[in-house]
Amino acid sequence: MPLTAQQWLDKIRALPLPSKVKIMNVCGGHERSITMAGLRTVLPPNIELIPGPGCPVCICPEEDVYAAIQLALREKIILVAFGDMLRVPVNVSKQEPRSLEQAKALGGDIRPLASPLEALQMAKQNPKQTVVFFAAGFETTTAPVAALLAEGVPDNLLILLSGRLTWPAVAMLLDSGQAGFDALIAPGHVATVMGSDEWQFVVEKHHLPAAVAGFTPDSLLAAIYSTLRQLIDNKRFLDNCYPQLVTPSGNVTAKRCLQETMTIEDANWRGVGTIPASGFRLREAKWDARIQLPDYASEKRQRGGEMPPGCDCAKVVLGNIYPNQCRLYGKACTPRTPVGPCMVSEEGACRIWWAGGVRF
Amino acid sequence: MCLGIPMQITEINGFNARCTAKGVDRDISLFMLQHEPIEIGDFVMVHVGYAIEKMTPQEASSTWELFDQLLEAEET
Ligand code: SF4
Repeated sequence: MPLTAQQWLDKIRALPLPSKVKIMNVCGGHERSITMAGLRTVLPPNIELIPGPGCPVCICPEEDVYAAIQLALREKIILVAFGDMLRVPVNVSKQEPRSLEQAKALGGDIRPLASPLEALQMAKQNPKQTVVFFAAGFETTTAPVAALLAEGVPDNLLILLSGRLTWPAVAMLLDSGQAGFDALIAPGHVATVMGSDEWQFVVEKHHLPAAVAGFTPDSLLAAIYSTLRQLIDNKRFLDNCYPQLVTPSGNVTAKRCLQETMTIEDANWRGVGTIPASGFRLREAKWDARIQLPDYASEKRQRGGEMPPGCDCAKVVLGNIYPNQCRLYGKACTPRTPVGPCMVSEEGACRIWWAGGVRF
Repeated sequence: MCLGIPMQITEINGFNARCTAKGVDRDISLFMLQHEPIEIGDFVMVHVGYAIEKMTPQEASSTWELFDQLLEAEET
């Protein structure tokens, strides 16, 4: 019989805990479950749960959002993007549209979607028009885009790809020597697709405890317990607390689709900078909106740390501060009037904390 | 967008499938599960319209329970 959340909690409380342990998660879904289930309030106070780089919308380069806005306004195209992307602000002068939503109000043909399949449908229903799918996301979203391409798409569907791999961001944090966490909860669905083996480096190279978790409180608490036990027993291994879906090698077809349609390159993360081998690039020019259409994501726009003025998203994403430590949190910045992408996205830590009732 | 949703398959047509979850029907793709035998009645974890893995009915229902709690927590 698997243990319940309460039983895991009792086991954690019975551990001889060190005075302070910081455990990072790198998945917006994990952060959501942790916050909504109120895990921080029921765990012993010496355990800190830090939300890390788990929000693809937040780290999508500013120049890519800008490029999408320009394509929608200046080219005769239909632009489709995941709903969250429509409200992400870019840094422009007051006269210019600062989000896809504003560009839509100015007449851009911009439509939200929930699945790559809808982009395909849109292209088939509008054969005389070019449909550009602005595809930002981590592996769980990029693999379906790869599957779509592998299955075959009509010529009038182009992809503006902004796909990212999650593990290189964690590798970068750990390589910097200033990671600021003692253990890692690895993302359950990324591991479902890519395999848990991708996260072995955390234990092997950096000797930190790590466990893959699912999204229910019992799975998350099992992973927290596992990493604490590893710390206390001074043992290290990558635990799998989501064996219902996660295997060491992942989904073979998804990985083959990614392999066949995309390569991996160094890529910019908004507010963070370039992370080696962390971005997907389309193998075929015929799919690539950056090649088939004017490229508005010019080098000039690629400044490091370009979150909106006053917004601390960059620090939130890297787990350096908690959302409510940002001076704008809940004041100038709320889900109704988001200043930065972390308050826009359903997976952004600021938005999750606010929705979860965390005030100041 | 990263939240996976468990769904039950009600119809299969090549790589396309009709799925249901809590009274909501959706067309999803089985393209990424072509290495696995899939049958009507199976539960799958669906991410942005693509099934990423098979799952047991037990796991599907505990994930649904979680969603109900999350929605409740966000509403109050
Ligand atoms: S509260 Fe708003 S302004 Fe502050 S870091 Fe979060 S998104 Fe940025």
